[in-house]
Amino acid sequence: MATKKLAFVVRSLPYKTEASRLALTHAISSQTVEIYLNDGDLVEASISYVGDGVFNILKNQQAGKHYGITTNEGHAKNTLLLDLKVLICKEDLDKFGLTEENLVMDAEDLGGDMRANIVSYNEIQKEMETADHLLFC
Amino acid sequence: MKLAVLMSDYRTGSDIVDRLSAEKLGIILVGNGVYHAAAKEGGKACPILEKKADFYALTEDFESRGFTADKLDSRVKAVNYGDLVDLIFNDYEKVIWL
Repeated sequence: MATKKLAFVVRSLPYKTEASRLALTHAISSQTVEIYLNDGDLVEASISYVGDGVFNILKNQQAGKHYGITTNEGHAKNTLLLDLKVLICKEDLDKFGLTEENLVMDAEDLGGDMRANIVSYNEIQKEMETADHLLFC
Repeated sequence: MKLAVLMSDYRTGSDIVDRLSAEKLGIILVGNGVYHAAAKEGGKACPILEKKADFYALTEDFESRGFTADKLDSRVKAVNYGDLVDLIFNDYEKVIWL
């Protein structure tokens, strides 16, 4: 009977490599892992965007049109349909002059009721410290 | 020499760009290189845009990343794949990829 805490931290830019997309897909798939665990065991995952990683959640990405692939924006939205804590580093948004208006903050249009949280880096640091497994992508 | 530089990264390559010189220098921002044109850190444009060069950014790449042409620095011209081919064949003698 235990809860394993997973912290996915997205720090890389989208598209040139698969790194940030893999963080998102792994965070999403972590929600299904419980079928393989013993009764009572749980997995609690969070996903945090820091540094250049905040560009993964910019709205209006047109990778579908130009590259013929799903967008990281869409993947980010999918994380908000699940029971995942989503954190975005405020200091990095400020550095790049980005605001909530520029970002995927919820998935209301898909019926989701979760919302991403803009927090200070200290909050993300705490999330990393309290995680059993830390995955930087 | 007329040199075109395809720049596909955001965090690496600027040191090389700093040192390059050419009679005609074109810097074509592709892939993650488009952040040099579209992102501002601390409200400041990317330092490589200070370089004496003609700057271009590939529309397909900045649109894929959620930017529009009006978000690009005024020193950068948006080009599509067709324009890029024309640039390489008509305006430059040598091309390098960073």
